Amino acid sequence: MSEKCYRLGCDIGGTFTDFVLLNDETGEIRINKCLTTPSDPSDAVEQGVRELEQKVPDLTGKMDEVIHGTTLVINAIIERKGAPTGLITTKGFRDVLELGREIRYAPYDIFAEFPEPLIPRRRRLEVDERVRSDGTVLEPLDPKEAREVVRRLLDMNVESIAVCLLNSFENPAHEMMIKEIIREEAPELSVSVSYEVLPQIREYERTSTTVTNAYVKPLTGRYLSKLEGRLQSIGIDGQLFIMLSSGGITSVDTAAEFPVRIIESGPTAAVISGQYYGRMFDLPEMFCFDMGGTTAKSCLIQGGVAGVVPTFEVGRVQRFMKGSGLTIQVPVVDLMEIGAGGGSIAKVSRLGTLQVGPESAGADPGPVCYGRGGKNPGVTDADLLLGYLDADYFLGGEMTLDREGAKRAVEEQIAEPLGVSYLQAVWGIHDLINETMAAAAKTHIAEKGGNPNVVTVAAFGGAGPVHAYGLAKKLGAPKLIVPPNAGVGSALGFFTAPRAFDLVRSHKVALAEADFGEIEEIFQALETEGARTLQKSGSASDVLYERSVDMRFVGQGSETNVALPEADVTGLAQETVRSRFDEIYKKLYGRTYPESPVEFINFKVRAKLPERLLELPRAAGKSGRLEDAVKGTREAFSGIAKEFIPYTVYDRYTLFPGASFQGPAVIEERESTLIVGEDASVSVDDYGFLWIDLPQQDD
Amino acid sequence: MGQTFDPVTLEILWRRLISIVDEADTTVSRTAFSSLLRDAHDYTCMFTDRKGRELAQGTFATPGQSGAMALGIKALVNKIPHDTYKPGDVFITNDPWALAGHLNDVCVMSPIFHKDDIVAFTACVFHHSDIGGRGSSDNHDVYEDGLFIPLVKLEDGGVLNQAVIDMIRWNVRTPDEVTGDIRSQIAANHVCAQKIRQMLEEYELENLDDLADEIIGRTEKSMRGAIAKVPDGVYRAEGIVEQMEGKDDVVIELAVEVTGDSIVVDLEGSSPQVDWGGNVVYNFTYAYVHMAMKSMFDPYIPNNDGCAVPISMKAPEGSVVNCKFPAAVAARMQIGHFITEIIYRAMAEALPDRVIAASGGTPATMNVFYGRRNDNTPWHAVIIRGGGMGASSRNDGYYDFIFPANGANTPVEIFESDTPLIVEKRELLPDSGGPGLMKGGLGRTVVFRIPDDAYAPKPPVNLGIQSGRFRYPPEGLFGGKHGAKARFLVNGKDGYPYGLTRLNPGDVVTMEAAGGGGYGNPMEREPGRVVEDVLNGYVTPEHAREEYGVVIDPTTMELDEEATKKLRQTA
Repeated sequence: MSEKCYRLGCDIGGTFTDFVLLNDETGEIRINKCLTTPSDPSDAVEQGVRELEQKVPDLTGKMDEVIHGTTLVINAIIERKGAPTGLITTKGFRDVLELGREIRYAPYDIFAEFPEPLIPRRRRLEVDERVRSDGTVLEPLDPKEAREVVRRLLDMNVESIAVCLLNSFENPAHEMMIKEIIREEAPELSVSVSYEVLPQIREYERTSTTVTNAYVKPLTGRYLSKLEGRLQSIGIDGQLFIMLSSGGITSVDTAAEFPVRIIESGPTAAVISGQYYGRMFDLPEMFCFDMGGTTAKSCLIQGGVAGVVPTFEVGRVQRFMKGSGLTIQVPVVDLMEIGAGGGSIAKVSRLGTLQVGPESAGADPGPVCYGRGGKNPGVTDADLLLGYLDADYFLGGEMTLDREGAKRAVEEQIAEPLGVSYLQAVWGIHDLINETMAAAAKTHIAEKGGNPNVVTVAAFGGAGPVHAYGLAKKLGAPKLIVPPNAGVGSALGFFTAPRAFDLVRSHKVALAEADFGEIEEIFQALETEGARTLQKSGSASDVLYERSVDMRFVGQGSETNVALPEADVTGLAQETVRSRFDEIYKKLYGRTYPESPVEFINFKVRAKLPERLLELPRAAGKSGRLEDAVKGTREAFSGIAKEFIPYTVYDRYTLFPGASFQGPAVIEERESTLIVGEDASVSVDDYGFLWIDLPQQDD
Repeated sequence: MGQTFDPVTLEILWRRLISIVDEADTTVSRTAFSSLLRDAHDYTCMFTDRKGRELAQGTFATPGQSGAMALGIKALVNKIPHDTYKPGDVFITNDPWALAGHLNDVCVMSPIFHKDDIVAFTACVFHHSDIGGRGSSDNHDVYEDGLFIPLVKLEDGGVLNQAVIDMIRWNVRTPDEVTGDIRSQIAANHVCAQKIRQMLEEYELENLDDLADEIIGRTEKSMRGAIAKVPDGVYRAEGIVEQMEGKDDVVIELAVEVTGDSIVVDLEGSSPQVDWGGNVVYNFTYAYVHMAMKSMFDPYIPNNDGCAVPISMKAPEGSVVNCKFPAAVAARMQIGHFITEIIYRAMAEALPDRVIAASGGTPATMNVFYGRRNDNTPWHAVIIRGGGMGASSRNDGYYDFIFPANGANTPVEIFESDTPLIVEKRELLPDSGGPGLMKGGLGRTVVFRIPDDAYAPKPPVNLGIQSGRFRYPPEGLFGGKHGAKARFLVNGKDGYPYGLTRLNPGDVVTMEAAGGGGYGNPMEREPGRVVEDVLNGYVTPEHAREEYGVVIDPTTMELDEEATKKLRQTA
């Protein structure tokens, strides 16, 4: 066994810090879980590593690397716990941050709330300078004025400064001069310059992104260096990497420089592992579905690749309403999140119908059946009462559920006021949350040009497997897969993510007028920058570059991304680019307009190192008898027969490759329970994945 | 006796119906060309039951269209004898009087058949940016507004009527885009029809009749329940809308008659229709009545016929709020947008916590810039803007939005790369929010410069404006004061904001949007909030003293409590 054969994935969440340990030689995986220690999160990390070391002697010595995902950045933004920050911007534009795009996201709600800008107006100062849209200077920057502005911000005791000038993506000279002046005036101060954070056209989105970066930069830097120091102190030296929202991993230095890129660091790992499964099983369209306590997150993976979108929102003030958060323009995996989880609360709507979610009882007090003071019945209560969860085997029996309390709550708060039977109410809660998720999923899949009737649904998370069968049926999906050990399933992404970094530069030019020599220079500059960034992540050999351009029809408001596989675009023909654009446009939007002129907006490079391969351990050879895996039978509700019928209960850990059986079935493991109806069949593959075949519906 | 639905099944089916329209909606944003559709979402998809009653509508709908469609589509589908509809029929019209009030809103409508019977109608209205014509607010009649498409068959039993397409192509400037977007409308209806049939099969329903009764009935009941809480009575308000100079103001007389759980809005006494494009058809006036009612009573209730049933409207024929053919209607928003705030003012005493003061984004401002660059190539840009929102009992007015319509701004960096102009400033205007216990939203200034250096375009640069609030500012409520008026300046002097302005290199144009009205007595605003406003430059120290009676020490910038108390006592 070679010296450094272990990799550790570590995800610090609000309640738990999760660990997954991979032995690269054997493919063996171990997991661990500690309570998060909010005052110093590295306490929990040390504790978790120490506990693993008891099972794997000299673990720290054998540790190749630690990959970390964190919700720290997103929480700091939501809770407004970032640093006092100042903004320096072009004269006449200090209010860009506050005015945003001036759209009312809830057209009929005249009291809809909007997020407070991260920097109050008094700390948004202007300098008299101006760059034109072609990058030439209209009004030169006066360094003396800039220095005074910097000093005024320092007098306000800011700990971080954002610099975002108009049209700087075409010419950053003035931004760089200001950065230099800040260095001279306050060498230790945190600075975020828009050209470095993301040199992309559209001043509101760029300002908001740069400001957010500046706001969380001091805190992220302190946190990461503390964590690195703690790992060093226990013998793990210089091998810490951070998960980016875009699905790559990067060095601590880069993450500390651009914390705005790790906002979705936590949930991204699940998507990356979904990509891995999609490729491993060669699934053309896969719908990953992770249902937890408060929300369901999902993502469509086409051809083993998850979509990456160029912008997202953080800290929505009106829960889950698009438009009510702060806009962040950095690449992020295309994750859809809706307010549907095990904790989602059921109640009677004003219209006298049943309503489930988006309000949630969360983990504390949780649903009524937790017996921790939760008063409102919810999804987990219904799942228990329908027989899908075992009151005595929740979390492997660690927690006993209060069936009577749950039943009373559903009867009193739902069935009676609605005038329906108890059974209608309890099934209604389960079915309605599935309907809500299916509706959102259908829209999400349609937006990506996918087809719900061919997707393979992959279920993760505590509540995912309980609802996956119902969701798949509503989507008309033919197959459902459940990886072994739902918790580990999503954390595998830490090990399969490439070291990668995305770079972009805006430069608007019509295709007909484009100088491909000039474009080649832009790409080369981006690649040089990419290589420099990756060097911080260790070896810089074998860097791979993926080039692409964002294009649009002249006058259109949004862009379409087109890949350019050429390593040198100097000799590229306009027609080639045009036909690629038309082809992609047609795939996404149904048809294209070859007569209408198109233009370039953004040039993009993803620089990455080759992915490390991961070989999952096969359970082949392990065999057994199906009856040994049967724990018994349990009465549970059938959505088809609309009554309780006997379900066979299986122990997932005793199931073996090649095992196959027909529903109705309940398959129990420690963290989750899979429900399969009587019209579907289950088989177990060599890796221990469960494959569920659903009957084909007529379209 | 029809089929009954328990409340659980009902909610599941109802959700399914809404998700069907939303899927059709997504089809539009995926297949439409025009950025007005794809990015500004200026379109509405819906479907009705077989009687033409609106059953579900896309979640993101434009208020002007969405309110008008419930009435419009019901009338349209019943114009044709139902036994003459065939599977595969598709109809098209942009009759402003039938739908959303101007020719640019084109409707495509299809019957949905299931087991040989009509079960529903699906329709979508798109705002097409090009419909031919002069595209100007000073048109004298609808003939100048552009191509008028009466209700005709676009597809007959599934066969495309190419003559209709050709007729449209030869009457618009961008035929590929317009007919492409019409195809996208057909596709959206197709998705809707297919999914409705699937749902009927899945749930073994013969038709949607009983489900429609249940959904519409419950919505109506909820709306009526909210109305019933308002004391009976006649609530009146009058709105004055400025006209271009030399013409009489438009007066809108409005009475909201609440009787039990019903409302009649009566516009008797309003001005006669005008000889320019500001005329509003009945349905569009109704749309902004609907906007006011829905926002006051339940902004999140799903839109369907049940929202509309309890609220009826009377408007004298030939008036500016119910104009007669062939009035020009292209600039209908300049008058139509005011309906919502006039209703709020009428209802303010009865519902003080459900209304907002007048907004600077009423009406929406639209600018059309065009001309030639120095190399003689043409350029053209359309931008829309709002102003400060009116304040309410629970919050200050936000900055800045179009209201009661909606729409996004164009980034300065995009505008500058599309045009030869320089935007010198886009910032909030201190003191422009109407003073009040709750402060009106600040207006916002935008300054454009026509370069006179090597980047100078060929003169002239044309600027067409649709806007308002230059003479009458947005009013406050309950002692709150009015916001600042809008201003239009060319080189620092008042310009003419009601038509076309010709500009030359070196000219500087300033457009100040109006601020929102305040709510409640400004002398009762918490002094700490006034100080915060002063520190952030939303309010100047002088304005704080004069309007809010708040004295701030000029050296420490802290509240002078003594002086404030004294000043407020004498105020």
